[in-house]
Amino acid sequence: MRPNSVGIVTTVVLLLFAHAGCNRHRDDAAAVDSGEVVVYTSVDDVFARPICEQFERDTGIKVQLVPDTEETKSTGLLNRLIAEKDRPVCDVFWSGDPIRAAILKSKGVSAPYASPQAAELPKLYSDPEGHWTGFSCRARVIIYNRDLVPAGQEPNLVLDLVDARFKDKACLANPLFGTTSMHAAALFEKLGEVEARKFFDDFAANGGTILSANGEVRRRVANGEFAVGLADTDDYNVARQEGKPVDVVYPDANGMGTVIVPNCIVLIAGSPNAENGKRFIDYLLTPAVEQALAESEAAQMPVRNGVPVPEHVVSLDQLKPMEIDYGTLGSRLEGLTKGFLKEWVDRNSR
Amino acid sequence: MISCLWLERPAAWRPAALMLLLGLVTLPAWPLAWQAVAGSDTIELGSAFWSAMRNSLEIALSVAAIALAIGLPAGLVAALYEFPGRRLLLTAVTIPLLAPSFLWAIGWSALAGQLGPLATAWTNGPWGCCLVFLASAVPLVLWITFAATTSLTGTQVEAARMAGGERNVVRYTGRYVAVTAILASVLAGILTVSDPGPGQILGRRTAAAEVLTSFSSLHDYGLAAWQCLALTLAVLVVVAPLAILATGRLSSQILARQVSPLRRHSAGRRAPTISAAFIAIVFLLSVAPLAGLLLPLRDGVDLSRAWREVVRTGPNTLMYAVGAGVIAAGLGFLAALGVGRGPRLRAVVLGACLVLFALPPSLGALGVVQTATSAPAWLDWLTRSRLTVCVELGLRFFSIAAIIALRSWGSLSATWTQAAALHGVSTTKYLARVVVPHMFPALAAAILLIGLLATADVGSVLLLHPPGQGSLPLAIFTVMANAPESLVASLCLVYVVLAFAIVSVVWWKTGSDQL
Repeated sequence: MRPNSVGIVTTVVLLLFAHAGCNRHRDDAAAVDSGEVVVYTSVDDVFARPICEQFERDTGIKVQLVPDTEETKSTGLLNRLIAEKDRPVCDVFWSGDPIRAAILKSKGVSAPYASPQAAELPKLYSDPEGHWTGFSCRARVIIYNRDLVPAGQEPNLVLDLVDARFKDKACLANPLFGTTSMHAAALFEKLGEVEARKFFDDFAANGGTILSANGEVRRRVANGEFAVGLADTDDYNVARQEGKPVDVVYPDANGMGTVIVPNCIVLIAGSPNAENGKRFIDYLLTPAVEQALAESEAAQMPVRNGVPVPEHVVSLDQLKPMEIDYGTLGSRLEGLTKGFLKEWVDRNSR
Repeated sequence: MISCLWLERPAAWRPAALMLLLGLVTLPAWPLAWQAVAGSDTIELGSAFWSAMRNSLEIALSVAAIALAIGLPAGLVAALYEFPGRRLLLTAVTIPLLAPSFLWAIGWSALAGQLGPLATAWTNGPWGCCLVFLASAVPLVLWITFAATTSLTGTQVEAARMAGGERNVVRYTGRYVAVTAILASVLAGILTVSDPGPGQILGRRTAAAEVLTSFSSLHDYGLAAWQCLALTLAVLVVVAPLAILATGRLSSQILARQVSPLRRHSAGRRAPTISAAFIAIVFLLSVAPLAGLLLPLRDGVDLSRAWREVVRTGPNTLMYAVGAGVIAAGLGFLAALGVGRGPRLRAVVLGACLVLFALPPSLGALGVVQTATSAPAWLDWLTRSRLTVCVELGLRFFSIAAIIALRSWGSLSATWTQAAALHGVSTTKYLARVVVPHMFPALAAAILLIGLLATADVGSVLLLHPPGQGSLPLAIFTVMANAPESLVASLCLVYVVLAFAIVSVVWWKTGSDQL
């Protein structure tokens, strides 16, 4: 290579780095001047992005969406939010469950915000101090493979997963992560320490398998590797739309009730675009967004009364929601993930 | 004017400069490591962590051994012989380097699900993890072996051929590249140690998954940092003897100036066998898991949505790859400059390079996020920009560049420097006219290899990318949880086709012989 080439390559590289480095300045300036809002979300990208694009069209505010991977696949956005606490980049965190929102509150990352739209929403799914507000929700359900579970043998209760008829055929996602961890904490709250431990131990003794995530549960029940599994309603809906031989049970309809997992929206303390963030939160809490999420592939259930839903979406008033204190669930889960659940996963993974 | 002879002489500045360089490379990991050391009196890592560590090391050793067994002969044959479909097959075998390991794990899992319980039982566990990791380990060993083989002169190979025919050529070159190939396979093995993905999806508990659990579920950064340190220490114990042994061999392999480049011969009657072997490798490592990933395309293709994602994320993906490659290659060049010809320093740097690979990327990435948070806003161009992603990825893959640069530096003849000094050539002029041009092919290879590996990274990019500036693999990851399988499959298809096209273009433009 001739010296001229060295110079050309060096110049190109320097220009590349200058472009890479300067871009953030432009982003920062744009965020303040032309109206942007930075939204981190643990909601699946395919569900969150259309809502954000509609917000952009309605308000002219640009949404910089940062979606998360599943918790089990990488050190996700929650850790980024905690690490960025003292000088945040993010304005709003759209959480797929109340647990992450509660963790942000406990770490001092969130700020209280009482949206005018929240007045119509049930208080049950929101933080009393306004750090997070719950809206459209999913439910924790049992999905089963129709080809493997004969009619009349369907599970009705979560505890049915430890029944002998599902020996070696049941699965759930790693209870240290995601909505399964919330489900585990809810079971401990409702069943009590002894019964809940017994359920998990019996599940393992019955040959139950721990998978990496709810998406895996959906996929492997759908293709017949397992007969039954615990997942979320959106997992079921995706499998249903793809024509897989799966069906769903909203468990414990006559007992402790079905675990409901609301979306939660959180304003980040000290966020660079707090006003735009509040507008985004207000938008997200409207009936139109609840309806859009119900009509989307997520098939989420509105928590408001009277929002129209498609035929395949079960509305909340058709269910018996498990009565849970969402505010304290986070701290209960913290104890469990450092104690029993961690030990249980260690004991039952290879 | 400074004489260029200082480049060859042992001096006290060399260890200091290298310490500084290694300090810089590990800088992102310091904040959390310091928190861990300073913030806790006693840490109980637990028996579960140690059993997971044992699983990780078993997988790493298996991957290293199998990658060596496949990659060494494959790289050797690809460098020495022409055979039918050579270019196409080498391009195909490289593709897995571009994709995150998690993608191949899901591919294998999906394929096994279609094949039945026996296949599922076999892929769920250590062998499944090995298969997934081999997809990137084999091309890594193959290409490093290839590069090492092409650094032989044509006359050396011809001499071997005349002395004892093709068998002698293979024996001679095999012996010559063996140490480099072993190092590459160890590197590939170590890369598996910090990757939690395949173990998570295929149901094998690994140390990296334990670290991920500490970060993402327990939110215990102190514990995570201690686990990272323990992981690094374990790798150090394993690789230190190897590094010391290998560098002795490497330093004895300093070559004379290339006067006639190696020319490939036809493989003759063995050509069909070689092609068939390569097809088998491509099928096992790429085609089979890809088939699993693409099976949902039977239900429909969503190429327009997939293409939108490519357009949105393509430029950033390319920038992160090139930026990481250039930074790593630059640092690798500095490492080679600092080491000079000292065998002891060479052993230390080589050992450090191998150990650095064991550090999980999240440790460095979270350290950068924390540093950026406490840094003033005017430093955002460095700490919160796309440049940050390039720098972090470049530091992560520094080891590869350093090893390649060390080897390339070793092939510089000391007499060149002495002659230049005798004629009063300045250091700047000598570096610009002799050293950099001589090392350019090796550094270009490093940039390409690191670019490929950096493209496949998801963890660091997720934590560091500025809002709206994600990469394509990250986009695939973030939609794959609940997107329709046909969309995920379409994205994978577009990604693989693009990867194939990029590798082909780079190959065609640079000329494979140059690498």
